[in-house]
Amino acid sequence: MDIFRVLWRHRALVVVLVRKELAARYRASLLGYFWSLLNPLMLLAVYAVVFTTVFRPRMAGAQPYALFLFAGLLPWLFFSGALLDAAITLVDNGPLLAKVVCPAEIFPAVTVLSHLVHHVLALPVLLVALAGCAMAGWHPFPWTIVLLPLALIPWILTAGGLALGISALAVHFRDIRDLVANLLNLLFFGTPIIYTLNGIHVGWLWHMLRLNPMTSLIRVYRSLAFTGHIAGPLEWAIAMATGVIVWLAGAWLFGRLRDTLVEAV
Amino acid sequence: MKGHVRLDGVSKVYRRLARRGRLQSLKGALLHGDLVRGLKASEGFVAVDHVDLDVAPGEAVALIGPNGSGKSTLLKLISGILKPTRGTVDVDGRVTALIELGAGFHPEITGRENVLINGMLLGLTRPEVEAKLDEIVRFADIGEFIDQPVKTYSSGMFVRLGFAVSVAADPDILLIDEVLAVGDAAFTRRSLDQIARMRREGVTLIIVSHDLDLVAHLADRAVYLRHGRVIAKGLADTTAARYRSDVAGDEAADRSAAASSVRVVEEGTRWGTGDVEILDVGFSSCGVPMRVVPSGTDCTVHIAYKVNHPVSDFGFGLAWHKPDGTVVGGHNTFLDGLVPGRLGERGEVRCHYPALDLAPGDYVLDVAIHAREGLAYDYWCQAARLRVTSAVEWPGVWAPEHRWESDGSVFFEADTGSSRG
Repeated sequence: MDIFRVLWRHRALVVVLVRKELAARYRASLLGYFWSLLNPLMLLAVYAVVFTTVFRPRMAGAQPYALFLFAGLLPWLFFSGALLDAAITLVDNGPLLAKVVCPAEIFPAVTVLSHLVHHVLALPVLLVALAGCAMAGWHPFPWTIVLLPLALIPWILTAGGLALGISALAVHFRDIRDLVANLLNLLFFGTPIIYTLNGIHVGWLWHMLRLNPMTSLIRVYRSLAFTGHIAGPLEWAIAMATGVIVWLAGAWLFGRLRDTLVEAV
Repeated sequence: MKGHVRLDGVSKVYRRLARRGRLQSLKGALLHGDLVRGLKASEGFVAVDHVDLDVAPGEAVALIGPNGSGKSTLLKLISGILKPTRGTVDVDGRVTALIELGAGFHPEITGRENVLINGMLLGLTRPEVEAKLDEIVRFADIGEFIDQPVKTYSSGMFVRLGFAVSVAADPDILLIDEVLAVGDAAFTRRSLDQIARMRREGVTLIIVSHDLDLVAHLADRAVYLRHGRVIAKGLADTTAARYRSDVAGDEAADRSAAASSVRVVEEGTRWGTGDVEILDVGFSSCGVPMRVVPSGTDCTVHIAYKVNHPVSDFGFGLAWHKPDGTVVGGHNTFLDGLVPGRLGERGEVRCHYPALDLAPGDYVLDVAIHAREGLAYDYWCQAARLRVTSAVEWPGVWAPEHRWESDGSVFFEADTGSSRG
């Protein structure tokens, strides 16, 4: 809760730092913010070509597959991008931490929020694609997508909590970044992103996937953004509980390590 | 009260960065929120050792000492960047720490955006920074460049902008770590002017510097640190003299192992190697021993000494102060061009003033016998006290003989002739 208070007090600074993060990324690039739109667009185009001409997966509830995949990948890219950057954010901002008095927790928060902005900037691509598919009659338009901000809450909390913990640990152990990258790869395939949970017919595997809390997060998101219905209350409860628990754990870890950060960066 | 800084038994222990024991210490951090608890003595490095410090609002204090003495760590503890391992740091008011100018600047974004971020990091709100932007640009003297990415700046522009943002934050307490040495002469002068202005406005100043002349100029008091401990604290120039003597002593000790080390006779007021000892300091006027001298009359300072170990490099020095620490003046035989020849085993040295033009009041005299490089054989602060009297209560410290004249257009009712009454 302490961290929430600190972040709220410095909200103006956080906003400015997020803007800086975005501005610095696209500085000296011709297209600027358009890259936030272009990157997912390219991704979608590649998937559309590959999965309609090369492979033709026939998974129930995942048609058209390129659109299904895209709707699942968007939150995952937000999540994994934020965590990978969280592993370096405190080290990168070391000069600020060590030479200027500033609360360290704003940096992981800025990392998560700037990835959230990228995510939001990519949503128009998804909307246009959904609208296109609806007009072509391939897939009804999921009006539930207006509720998407609700589905983003557990994502933001989970990514925020993990970002806090990872950023603080990464200051002490630089191996964390590689570890996180590998775990994210593992988790990517261990979460129903490129497939559906119902498409798994191996019992033990199904149970393992069901135990992965990220499964709930992706299902809550994708049911709104692709399928067009609202996931069941249990799914929502698991997703929200995951967000809250991960946030609290990350905040606790960060609080424990806060005083040691400056010396180690 | 705003601007008050209080350190109470503050220690800072750094964990030595060894691979072994890292997981162990991390476990400690998670269980107790403390990385150094339960650390063996060999695993920790004590950077600051039990320091007490009380800086009143508006006071200027310098931290001096050799490299690695804990000055910068102490400054970071005061600023809140570091947390003390033991003890408490109480700081009242807004702190700005000038530790590295422009430290937080991001090279890819413009000066304007960097100023905004830095100003907000220092605790200003966005409208406040925007209101001060013109002032900042003017002080930094970078004109159009404010809208260019910072990576295109010259190093001078970079530090000027860094300084301008930091001081624009209206701190109650300004902490400065050796940053004034980075720019050119014009920048240094301008920043010193700015610091002087802030001091007049009542900003508390704590500086770390190796430039002892700057320390004596800027600070009222100094704290001399060595190995994280306070060796001496007191008036800035006295403490700086003590440090100079120790440095010279260290160098002498490096040259010859036989050289005796500096010992402290009386904490804070008298130190030296003891090779030559001051026995007594006294005054006389026209050959008569006195403790009270009328302003403008003949005065002589007598320094009686004794040689304990013969030295070939010697000089005598005097420093006059007011009892509140204001420096009045000083001279030594080196500055006066006297080359050391032979020092008799026991004797007296006199410094003669044909007319002691001091304003009435009490004066304190520091007396030293030292080597050319500053190594003190005996440095005695407040060795003697003299009262100067005068019929007229002249203000200040200087009361020279003088006369008012005119080209004939000004007449005074009565001409008393002598100004000295």
